[in-house]
Amino acid sequence: MFNRIKSLLFALVLCLICGSLLAFASKGLKNRQQDNITTDRQKNILKSVGLIKEEMTYTPDQIKTLFIDTIKRVSVDEAGRIIDEKENTEIPGSKIFPIYLYVQSDDSIAAYVIPIDTKGLWGKIHGYLSLGNDGSTINGFTIYKHSETPGLGGEIEKTWFQQNFVGKKIVDRHGAFVSLSIARGKVENNIPEDRRKNYVDGISGATLTGKFLTEGLKETLSSYEPVSIRFRKNNFRDYKQIEKKQR
Amino acid sequence: MKLTSTKFFRTFSQPLWGNNPVSIQSLGICSALAVTVQLKTAVVMGISMTVVVAFSSLLISLIRNRIPRNIRIIAELIIIATLVILTDEFLRAFYYDISKQLSVFVGLIITNCIVLGRTEAFALSNPPHLAFIDGIGNGAGYSAALIMVAFIRELLGSGKFFGLKILPGIFYTAGYEDMGFMLLAPSAFIIIGLMVWLQKTWVKNDTK
Repeated sequence: MFNRIKSLLFALVLCLICGSLLAFASKGLKNRQQDNITTDRQKNILKSVGLIKEEMTYTPDQIKTLFIDTIKRVSVDEAGRIIDEKENTEIPGSKIFPIYLYVQSDDSIAAYVIPIDTKGLWGKIHGYLSLGNDGSTINGFTIYKHSETPGLGGEIEKTWFQQNFVGKKIVDRHGAFVSLSIARGKVENNIPEDRRKNYVDGISGATLTGKFLTEGLKETLSSYEPVSIRFRKNNFRDYKQIEKKQR
Repeated sequence: MKLTSTKFFRTFSQPLWGNNPVSIQSLGICSALAVTVQLKTAVVMGISMTVVVAFSSLLISLIRNRIPRNIRIIAELIIIATLVILTDEFLRAFYYDISKQLSVFVGLIITNCIVLGRTEAFALSNPPHLAFIDGIGNGAGYSAALIMVAFIRELLGSGKFFGLKILPGIFYTAGYEDMGFMLLAPSAFIIIGLMVWLQKTWVKNDTK
């Protein structure tokens, strides 16, 4: 009996010490980790529009300045109108989507970035999809957080997979929206010639991850379709003009 | 007495060569396959592992006479898990990119047989200074194996050394191609297999 109480006490004291140590460390390092996560997201947005190269290394400060200089975060409503950040909290019930604009030094919008926030096989997949200002061509695709199986579905974070998105279209050859799908296997072996622009190579051993990502992309891109249509119709080319229209 | 024959020195050198945790005991293979595509991740993983083994052995050896026998494995695991999570948090705060590449494998040090094996087999019955040096030795042995595998894989798989291109462009124009297979996990299996074979033959010839 005495031994059991001793064991119990020992376990209790050990857990208390270890637990408080972990709590202390987690609290103390939180800010730094949060900073790293923010920088990592900014880096991914910049990478999706092609401003950052994979093989180069950048300091966090470089990324921050580059991000502030080139990327503008705005919101769009259901009809695809760009609205001011402050407004969206005041309209109840309306759907607001965040969007990032790549604004060049002459105020022209070169690309827009859509945050991807979708279901994967084991957990959420977070990333960014950048579309050119024609509203249909993919500029780049990045993933910054996922919980897919390393080596199988986890390959979605690799450059070879993300590189396949570049230059693909989210519309068919008549200009109608079809989204973008992950093929089973290689595109050139499995997809008819005229639809290859809407497919990227799949990952072997990760059929389900591909399926979930395909569904997620379709859902996300559909809700952003009103904005994309405006881009296709040439409505959004100049950042200054949009700003003026708002006022 | 010579330095090489002290117990202290032997505790350190045994796991480096004669009793290497990876190539002789075949422990920690899973992570050795996963993080050895580049030298950088292998080195960081090796350091993390060394820190965890060394300090868990030290701490457990310090309280070895107080740990009740019936809950000793739980107590060992609590200490190991705490150290692993601390390492993970530290990497996430200061080496975010590397910690992203290592993904789950730092967290999986908890389940690595080397750590629990050393605490159970050595730290519980030896004084703290020896337990600590045993941990360092095992960590170093593990790191050495990882670094060797990573060196071969990075060199043959992408022609790089610590992320720097070292194979001259002439090679590529002459028709040389990077071996894509080296970037996949099975290649590590083959390399580790060759290492085990080489070392076992070597050790056998030594003792004859």
